[in-house]
Amino acid sequence: MKLLIVDDSNIIRSRIARIALHPRLPEITIVGLAKNGLEAIELSRRAPPDVVTMDLTMPEMDGIACIAALMAEKPQLNILVVSALGDKATAIAALKKGARGFLHKPFTDEQLVDALLEIQC
Amino acid sequence: MAHLSESELKVFIAAVSNYFGQLTNEAAVIRSSYLADAELPHFDYTGLITLSGRFRGCVYFSAPRLLMRELLLQMQEPDTCEQNLLDAVGEVANTISGNARRHFGSGLDISVPVAIKGATAQIKSAVRTRPFAILLSWQKHEAVVVVDIEPVN
Repeated sequence: MKLLIVDDSNIIRSRIARIALHPRLPEITIVGLAKNGLEAIELSRRAPPDVVTMDLTMPEMDGIACIAALMAEKPQLNILVVSALGDKATAIAALKKGARGFLHKPFTDEQLVDALLEIQC
Repeated sequence: MAHLSESELKVFIAAVSNYFGQLTNEAAVIRSSYLADAELPHFDYTGLITLSGRFRGCVYFSAPRLLMRELLLQMQEPDTCEQNLLDAVGEVANTISGNARRHFGSGLDISVPVAIKGATAQIKSAVRTRPFAILLSWQKHEAVVVVDIEPVN
């Protein structure tokens, strides 16, 4: 499985990359680490991912716009939103754009593993 | 407490307590909440979120270096360089503010975090004469969340 991690926080990108090595997950290759939506689109064209973890509040291009752009290019992409935004309207907006799952920050290692497994089903 | 009810203030108290509890299995202990005076409380590192939409103002989380370093280590991030400490304090502020939207709804627009080291002119009241300060402790270190918001009429 090829994973692209999108988050404006270096700490969160590193943490997700570390959790992606969890033994419960299938073998994962990290194909890119992007700090905003524009970088994510560029990286996904260079090394197409199967799965994307997507933050929403980011500079340059936010996560909702990025999900729409990525899904337009690759509709079968599995996108897991990983965001602190806790309101239902945001979750619904992300799912309408094509995200397959939504994980709220703060999250535990196990919660991220479960969420990644779920969106691959 | 004009314009911000006690229950609304509790949204931020719950968010910060939950943040530490979820990430480290040790919830932050809320020591007190009070109306701050002109000189707002702050520590070594501050993550500041600007609010817009149906509300205006800002929310910030401020903590000493030792707390931020310990938080990084508990997140299994061994690199406690300056950049990562700033990144982490911004992420805490972002998460607390983002979680508050569960109560306030999507009308609470939040900015990307601004991370600040030390005391700067950016740490000042934005809309309230006396913002709410929530003093907490985690692993024997004190920190503070300052809530300086008002609804837009």
